[in-house]
Amino acid sequence: MNLHIADYLIIIVYFLFVIGVGFIIKKKIKTSNDFLTSGRNIPLWITSLAFISANLGAQEVLGMVASGAKYGIMTVHFYWVGAIFAMVFLGVFMMPFYYGSRARSVPEFLKLRFDEKTRGLNAISFAIMTVFSSGISLFALAKLLEVILHWDFDVSIWLAAGIVMIYTFLGGLTSAVYNEVLQFFLIVLGLSPLVIVALHDAGGWSNIRTLLQPEMTHAWKYMGHADSNPMGINFMSLIFGLGFVMSFGYWCTDFLVVQRAMMAKNMNAAQRTPLIAAIPKMFMPLIVVLPGVIAITLMQPALASKGFNIPSDGNGGLDYTMTLPALISHYYPTGLLGVGITALIASFMSGMAGNVTAFNSVFTFDIYQSYFVKNKSDKHYLIVGKIATIAGILFSIMTAYIATGFNNINDFLQLVFSFVNGPLFATFLLGMFWKRTTGHGAFWGLLAGTLAAAATHGLTLAEGKGGWMYPLYEIHSGMGQAFIVASVSWIVNFCTTIIVSLFTKPKPDSELKGLVYSLTEKPSYHQNKWYLKVVPLAIILIVATLILNFIFF
Amino acid sequence: MYKKLSNLGFVIGIFFIIISLILIIGGLVSSALAYKLNFYTGFSFLLFGIVMSFFNSNSGQHKEK
Repeated sequence: MNLHIADYLIIIVYFLFVIGVGFIIKKKIKTSNDFLTSGRNIPLWITSLAFISANLGAQEVLGMVASGAKYGIMTVHFYWVGAIFAMVFLGVFMMPFYYGSRARSVPEFLKLRFDEKTRGLNAISFAIMTVFSSGISLFALAKLLEVILHWDFDVSIWLAAGIVMIYTFLGGLTSAVYNEVLQFFLIVLGLSPLVIVALHDAGGWSNIRTLLQPEMTHAWKYMGHADSNPMGINFMSLIFGLGFVMSFGYWCTDFLVVQRAMMAKNMNAAQRTPLIAAIPKMFMPLIVVLPGVIAITLMQPALASKGFNIPSDGNGGLDYTMTLPALISHYYPTGLLGVGITALIASFMSGMAGNVTAFNSVFTFDIYQSYFVKNKSDKHYLIVGKIATIAGILFSIMTAYIATGFNNINDFLQLVFSFVNGPLFATFLLGMFWKRTTGHGAFWGLLAGTLAAAATHGLTLAEGKGGWMYPLYEIHSGMGQAFIVASVSWIVNFCTTIIVSLFTKPKPDSELKGLVYSLTEKPSYHQNKWYLKVVPLAIILIVATLILNFIFF
Repeated sequence: MYKKLSNLGFVIGIFFIIISLILIIGGLVSSALAYKLNFYTGFSFLLFGIVMSFFNSNSGQHKEK
């Protein structure tokens, strides 16, 4: 793939804009809250698009296109099973607690609901996870640019990290969020022509269905048994593992996404943020799953004349991660090629910035202010937040170089995510809906859940991964293994939390107001029009999602 | 002007207008860029950019405190 002046010009314009956004936002940054939490002053459309963009990093984009090519239309489960329902649950049930408690972060909410040690455990594990994610984003960007454009790996790492550092250091969370929204439009508008042209080339959806195996074009029909579908999992594992544990664990408790809703101007906007975000999320498979399905169709013998190929992985298989870059290279001419590459760069950098801004908030509020230096001036914490931003970027660079030793970044991310986020939703579910849950129960439950995740991974083997303790049980696919690890950790956390809570003393009701469902006044929006209310929007989203599942059954 | 620049809709609109101009004008003056797909995309970006820049003047405002 060779870039020309026009392509470079587009990339340079993008870099200038993201840095420019940093300088514009810098003038608004006066306090640590402005820098780390955006001062709860962001319009709904921005919080909603930032909410969805936080999950639209390049790993997700490249990973979903790759999964579309590998597993077919079943990949839509990550959206229509593994996202929309959890987003609706977050908006309707959980945002009133997050927003109403005035907590500045998810770990801080855990402190309010439970105790200091539960916050500490979550804050430290989350901080480590964000740095890993950010570093892997950086590594993946540099690797991609090295492979497709032959750019120097080190230069790409330092250039991308430098630009992210400038705009996050200047404008903090607001700057990161503004660039996430720009990235959202770049990805959607930048990849739409690719989908249209490639779909036309493949003969439309009807031809795709004719040319591919039926299990590649049905979302549910072949889910009865793990052996009968390309993903290697049955519908029960999918619904519980992905649709419940992983999905709710990520969308409802991961501070990176919840932080976007917490920036909203008021409770109603905070509740509607994940609901409005669910609308584009519902249609995102058109941009990130369909290209993968089209790519594998174009490789069928009937369409050999089109001359498209997914690159080989060197072991006789296909390097599915390169599906999207291969499509861009095949269909985009000079000019639009620059747009496509910029969209990829934007998603990598935005993913990194999102993690760094979540890291600096959690480090400043939940680690530094809570355990090291209390009761200092706001200016002090603003400076600490900025230093944490630089430190986060430097840790990310270090992680990126460490990641060169791993050959599958997505596996690694899923693994870290399963260990940390898998069990967390059980803590929140019990904490928010069972007032008897205690701080000791939450802490030991989280710890037991995380250890159970590690043990399950160590005892199961899938596609050569895991089994580092003893390969006791073999699972068809790495994805199935991730679902099982998350499910076991959730169940262990759930049971441990209940048992320990029953033997320890709960907080009095007076301390749990606004933190537990039964003791919290529900927000009502009787004065609003129906489309401004939370529940009607939620019902429409659920019905629409069920219809989409039915259409592609 | 600063007020306009702190409106994200305006900034995104201007970004897409610039990209569209690179695609459209580049396609008119250079054979390397003269592809139908560039023109179609360029005009779509231009339309989107104009709508975002000039019809979104209030909704994206990040209020001054």
